[in-house]
Amino acid sequence: MTVLEIEHVAIGYSSTLIVDDLSVTIPKGQISTIIGPNGCGKSTLLKAVARVLKTQEGAVYLDGKAIHQLKTKEVAKRMAILPQTATAPGGLTVFELVSYGRFPHQTGFGTLRKEDYEYIHWAIDVTGLKEFSDRPIEALSGGQRQRVWIAMALAQGTDILVLDEPTTYLDLAHQLDVLLLLQKLNKEEGRTIVMVLHDLNHASRFSHFMIAMKNGQLIVNGHPNEVMTKENLQTVFHIDAEMAICPYSANPICLSYQLYERDK
Amino acid sequence: MSHHAFLTASQQKTRKKHFIILGTLIVLILITFVISMNTGVIKLTPLEVLRTLFGQGDAQQQLILFEFRLPRIVVAILVGMGLASSGAILQGISRNALADPGILGINAGAGLMVMLFISFFPSTAAAPVYLLPVLAFIGSGMTAIIIYALSYKRHEGITPMRLLLTGIAVAAGISSAMIVLTLRLTPENYQFVATWLAGSIWGSNWKFVLSLLPWLIILLPFIYSKSRILNVLNLDELTAIGLGASIEKERRWLLAASVGLAGASVSVSGGIGFVGLIAPHLARQLVGAKHQILLPVSALLGGLLVLLADTIGRSILEPSEIPAGIVVAVLGAPYFLYLLARLKE
Repeated sequence: MTVLEIEHVAIGYSSTLIVDDLSVTIPKGQISTIIGPNGCGKSTLLKAVARVLKTQEGAVYLDGKAIHQLKTKEVAKRMAILPQTATAPGGLTVFELVSYGRFPHQTGFGTLRKEDYEYIHWAIDVTGLKEFSDRPIEALSGGQRQRVWIAMALAQGTDILVLDEPTTYLDLAHQLDVLLLLQKLNKEEGRTIVMVLHDLNHASRFSHFMIAMKNGQLIVNGHPNEVMTKENLQTVFHIDAEMAICPYSANPICLSYQLYERDK
Repeated sequence: MSHHAFLTASQQKTRKKHFIILGTLIVLILITFVISMNTGVIKLTPLEVLRTLFGQGDAQQQLILFEFRLPRIVVAILVGMGLASSGAILQGISRNALADPGILGINAGAGLMVMLFISFFPSTAAAPVYLLPVLAFIGSGMTAIIIYALSYKRHEGITPMRLLLTGIAVAAGISSAMIVLTLRLTPENYQFVATWLAGSIWGSNWKFVLSLLPWLIILLPFIYSKSRILNVLNLDELTAIGLGASIEKERRWLLAASVGLAGASVSVSGGIGFVGLIAPHLARQLVGAKHQILLPVSALLGGLLVLLADTIGRSILEPSEIPAGIVVAVLGAPYFLYLLARLKE
């Protein structure tokens, strides 16, 4: 099982650092979610984990090796990434896009082998896309499309899945649908999932481990019980939250809230 | 993991459809080939063409077919294949359906070199015409390198959007330089340059075939071997990195191949536009976005398009000719407008 550690990373563009001296170890086989206000650096951190952005200082370690020193193809065999802005060229079918997930395992012209087909069919089955397999992606709804991208990441056959706001632009039912799928993959396959979520209650309900960030720094991390407290939400989001317990997960959720400063 | 049937019925059907499309294109090229062999001042019946091809014709028939028409047809097909493949690569890596080799300054750079050459050799008759393709190729290569260098940014490397914008700007700059140079030309020389820029299959002998063929023999298999990488580069950048593609390195190789293909083609055909834009686009409508099939279909469509354009250009105003580039533009412009209108929706 692959281990992911973030050690003293500083990330940014030339002079301004967006993430400063942040260390956190992603627990393997669990769902970890990064939360924080807009501009806190959560997507930036995720991009450094995904080796899209270089760290100015510190490093991200995959199985004890700095991710930038590993061959990008080797990383892709252990860690799959679903960016927020994933777009498919017109005319591509679901099967074709999912088959691209086999990229790091292929050589040469890219003829699919038996093992590749097995992964692709499995990824399409588990995401419930079997009946859409030969449809062009642009003909699908937003929720189905997000499933296709998850299926592509799954076909990559990695231990770790990194997702940047996988529920954005989806309606309530489809958001839950995607998160339940990720939960199932974690439970049944033991995959490590790292993601950024905007919805605190979804984060609390589906995560084993939460990472709260503000101004490029780690404020608190741990089990939702430790992170989702009235005090932490006040520090991180500047809100005065009414806390409750989620009937489905027994984790804390935010029932409603007011702006903290205006209250006083 | 249970065993699945590898391909669904619908995927097998798609595969069959791809083979039918490839076959149809080859047949269409062959038909145009025979028609083109018959096109010209001296008429030959299809039977005579076939007889001559198999070595049974008389001396005059042999001269017309083997020394004039056949090399011209072969050049037209090769040029079309080269330009279309070049365009398919550019559209793939830039994720922009309106990218074509002209955007990399390939036509403009070649045109400028040809114009400089003509300005310094006032009489085209005395000029070593065989130098032209070489110079045109150097011109396109140099322009592409300048555009690449200008759009390169430290830490970020090359982003397709900046490459396109720089390309358009540099091509515009070169075009204005050419207008200034035009003033220095004699009317005859101007005519030669204008015909060259319009894109005609003027290099119609076996030497030009030989100067073009090696590029295609090397570069076409090279880009086909990169189909899988083109597929991934055609997605967004972050996804491509996540899948483990070394995007910066692969882009550079593919751009170089694209410049080589278009530069070699333009050096014998002059500035034929639209082929690199339209052929890959039509191919995508026919077979989708997978480069394993998109690249060969684009190449065949490009070959067919230029051969057809050259044949039409030779036959409608006999005995004079309309450059193939103009015929392609007349055929291509409406399609281009249709494309723009559809992109707007």
